[in-house]
Amino acid sequence: MQEQEIDLALITAVLNGNTAVYSELVTRHQRFVFTLALRFTKNREDAEEVAQDCFIKAYRALGTFRQTSKFSTWLYTITYTSAMTHLRRKKMDTVSLNDEESHIQVADTVADNRSDSLEKKSAHFYLNQAIDSLSPEDAAIITLFYKAEQSLEEISNTIHMPPNTVKVKLHRARLKLKEKLQYLLKDEVKELI
Amino acid sequence: MTTIEEQIWDYIDGNLDIAGQSEIEAKIAVDEDYRSAYLELKVIHQQIGEISLDEPSMAFNRKVMGLIELEIAPISLKTKVDQRIIYSIAAFFILSAATIFIYSISRIHFTVPKMTAAPALNLNQYLTPTLIRGFIFCDVILGLLYLDGWLRGKKI
Repeated sequence: MQEQEIDLALITAVLNGNTAVYSELVTRHQRFVFTLALRFTKNREDAEEVAQDCFIKAYRALGTFRQTSKFSTWLYTITYTSAMTHLRRKKMDTVSLNDEESHIQVADTVADNRSDSLEKKSAHFYLNQAIDSLSPEDAAIITLFYKAEQSLEEISNTIHMPPNTVKVKLHRARLKLKEKLQYLLKDEVKELI
Repeated sequence: MTTIEEQIWDYIDGNLDIAGQSEIEAKIAVDEDYRSAYLELKVIHQQIGEISLDEPSMAFNRKVMGLIELEIAPISLKTKVDQRIIYSIAAFFILSAATIFIYSISRIHFTVPKMTAAPALNLNQYLTPTLIRGFIFCDVILGLLYLDGWLRGKKI
């Protein structure tokens, strides 16, 4: 059975009154929803709050879900909206996440530790750090594209942007990540080339 | 004009058609710039693809289900709202609006003000009941349009 079909079977069971089955839906999607929320909030407590809020909203609106579309795309749209509402509520200064200073800050921090940490910590650690330094939207696009395996059209539906804008943002985000990874992992990249 | 990197990303993402793919493959095979860009971006692509998802706390699922228990069980919208009920309500309102409109039109006595070659400044001659009703009717329509625009702006 495909992932989408499993989701639909679980949703049907919940709508037929077996609400305990919703736990299975939460288990299946909690990691991704939490990661996506974390891309916006940048801290675990807030991300968990957003993810929790997202699952409650999804449960309330489950009856309106059109079963012809992907449940994951619908759920990620709710996550995105919840995260944006949370950001607005918290009045987080998103400008500082976008500007170049934060990039330089990350690079400097890494530079300080580079000599002794690079060997100890995995490339994934630096990659996650590099993603965290992106703007919330760019980080969300990267996560949706690579981890949710969503197409540009699906991402554009999730974050309410035209597909071309998503494409440009994805390209720019990868360019930024490339610069960081080239700096952090230049030996590995050279070896592989 | 797209840069080499953009072309390579489109190739890696599978956004190109067969002809486009063949063109890039040929360039990668013969052009050193394309080849090095491809190998570099392929490594980056693989690295990004390997990012791991974060785990929420162990109690996350339990917390969510605890809150879910306080909620009303969702029902499929198809079973909750019968289409026939919606059509009946729509028919009732359309019929009511049409009846009121026809009744209002039938009650109006159309009279035309008397026109003279050199009109005296007697406003009562022009302010006929039809004119006043027409004027009020236009005002109500404009008022409703304004209210509609205002409510849309407020997203109510």
